[in-house]
Amino acid sequence: MQVETPEKQVISSQENSMQVQIGSICCAIKCQDTKALQGLRQRYLDFLTDRPADVSIELSGVDHLNATELEEALSETRFVHGENNFHTTSHIISGTYDLSRGTIKISGEKNLANPDLPINHLNRLLSLGYYSACKIRYNGIPPAFLVHSCGIIRHGQAMLFAGPSEIGKTTVGRLCGNRYGQVINDEMVLVSRQQGDDGRLSVEGVPMLGGLPSRIKAGAPLACIFLLKQSKRTAVRELERTEAFLRFMRQVITPAYIGQKDKRAVYGLIADFSATVTSLIPFFELEFKLDRQSLWRAIEETEIMLGKEKQET
Amino acid sequence: MNNRIMQAEDLISRQIGDETVIIKDNGLSTYVLNRMAACIWELCDGTRGVDGITEKICERFEVDSDQANADVTETIDQLLKTGLVNQVKV
Repeated sequence: MQVETPEKQVISSQENSMQVQIGSICCAIKCQDTKALQGLRQRYLDFLTDRPADVSIELSGVDHLNATELEEALSETRFVHGENNFHTTSHIISGTYDLSRGTIKISGEKNLANPDLPINHLNRLLSLGYYSACKIRYNGIPPAFLVHSCGIIRHGQAMLFAGPSEIGKTTVGRLCGNRYGQVINDEMVLVSRQQGDDGRLSVEGVPMLGGLPSRIKAGAPLACIFLLKQSKRTAVRELERTEAFLRFMRQVITPAYIGQKDKRAVYGLIADFSATVTSLIPFFELEFKLDRQSLWRAIEETEIMLGKEKQET
Repeated sequence: MNNRIMQAEDLISRQIGDETVIIKDNGLSTYVLNRMAACIWELCDGTRGVDGITEKICERFEVDSDQANADVTETIDQLLKTGLVNQVKV
């Protein structure tokens, strides 16, 4: 169901704004700091669009804390939510929003945009923008969910390598290079039901930043998902559905829009999405060591096994 | 332990294959129930105690009442410990 807002803003490309495409959603980012905006334009180059925005995020930066002070402040930061506004106990970020108009205004320390911080706040901002726009446009039921994973297209199909930070998503992307497939994003992808809904799932690249420099706005049907496990050997094990569900749901980026207070609804969405994905797609645990050949041999063997199963059915 | 038993609030449950997954504390804790345990948990609606639940279990499963009572008592005990159900104070 598409819900139009009464006074939706149509925002076009200007010197102090840009529009970023995330799946079917378009987020406008406005910033008076043209240098900072230029930096963001470079990062999101392949995802810039002239489409009217579903949500507009206006950023303003302050420069009160150096990197060390910011890190200390972040460790003590708690969000305090009010009526259509929020701030942090550490005073490093605050904002107001009006989802009926599709606007979010955020003021924060400039260093928060540093992608080298332990938590990538730009990714969090885009995820929040995406799910806030889904609230506006799809009445809070996202047509696609962001999944913490490295997405690789091989032979016209996508496979995901999912897992928490530091588990090896970027390493898998590096070990893929251009030889074994096309890495669309080594940090996050969108997973959705395909149009026409024949029960298949598809994967699409997103602008969120990972450890590799390139992110590709490409998509493909989803073939399977590997849940990563660091190991001293390389091995693949097919997962039972319940184990896959329990582990996969922790890799779904929390689909909360700005100001959302009903956490149960959020986890209900994650549970429904995870139940759908685990019912349609085979899941494997992939233990891997830092060896390109054994990794791709294990993946090829899995592909062959899946191909045989497909032929049999 | 024959107080009435009720499911805890704010739980999310989903049927995954033959098992029921219960999500608690906004996703921080998850529990997997087999078919019998899920049935017992579903019967914890605040209107029955162990005896009432045992009666229903005997109707649904081919199990004698002593065995059912032992299973229900043990399961309810575990559900109480994990906070998936509460005893209703009358």
